[in-house]
Amino acid sequence: MSKEHPIELFMPPNMLKAKVGGTIGGLDMAAVKRAEAAMETLKADFSDWVGSDVARLSECRDRFAAEQDADARDALFRAGHDIKGQATTFEFPLVARVAASLCHLLESLPSPESVPLLLVDAHVTAIRIIVRDKIKDTTNRMALELVEELEARVVEMTGRPVV
Amino acid sequence: MSGYRFDRLKILVVDDNAHMRKLVVTILQAFGAIQIFEAPDGERAWILLRDANPDVVILDWMMEGMSGLEFVKQVRTSPQTPNPFVPVIMLTGHTHIDHVRQARDAGVNEFLAKPVSVKAILTRLISVIEHPRPYVRTKSYFGPCRRRRGADEYRGPERRAVADATALE
Repeated sequence: MSKEHPIELFMPPNMLKAKVGGTIGGLDMAAVKRAEAAMETLKADFSDWVGSDVARLSECRDRFAAEQDADARDALFRAGHDIKGQATTFEFPLVARVAASLCHLLESLPSPESVPLLLVDAHVTAIRIIVRDKIKDTTNRMALELVEELEARVVEMTGRPVV
Repeated sequence: MSGYRFDRLKILVVDDNAHMRKLVVTILQAFGAIQIFEAPDGERAWILLRDANPDVVILDWMMEGMSGLEFVKQVRTSPQTPNPFVPVIMLTGHTHIDHVRQARDAGVNEFLAKPVSVKAILTRLISVIEHPRPYVRTKSYFGPCRRRRGADEYRGPERRAVADATALE
């Protein structure tokens, strides 16, 4: 019996280009400036947005502390992952780093029961404090030492660097 | 000026985080887009894919229920899919190369790691407009060609043929 299997390779019509028209000439800097100005107008809301993300993280932490099962761990991971992805945009880069460390801890250990709650709490508390004190500077010595200590503990626990 | 008429595009933004949706929608509106549809999960996105027939999907990976990865696989391969060719830009907090590979293998056209920036979103939109990839159908995959340049230019090992042959064994 033949092992050959056909591979179809085809190019659908470029309907997007037909719709939007235009010519490529690098980035449209006017559009970039308009969008950056629009983002500026959202900045007033960023602290509130981070605040509600942190509140959700705290709720998920409480659920995980009570249940410590796969569903609770996954919910906590999703809350942390959202913060990891968004906090830098919302001008809290160190919060993003702590959230990345928390996510790494949660996804690297084999079972929910093996995740140390004290280390989870240390991450959640660090995020709360950085947001409460509005630390947006990545060179803030106290915050940086806290972040590095948390990352070191997670690396020690998981055996892999935080990415 | 590129002169793109983004107002003619229908764009579906799928993210379970309302703040991120608001941010992406604000950026798209500043580009001139007006036909923007929002979905907080994969199930709602599937309905909008059918009802609104978007031209582009901007999709979060990590969502409760159907993940972004499951959604894009369904878009590419479900017999009920309204449009298996719709370009999908995956916007995610995942940053590891393994995640990029997983997204590519699911049928994502462009991968955009958070944090979000205006230039990054515009660059990915331009990429799907100006440099669409050919589509590939094999026994184990349907979606945009996973080789960034044309298949004819590829000089690496023939993994696709090997994978397909293995699947048939």
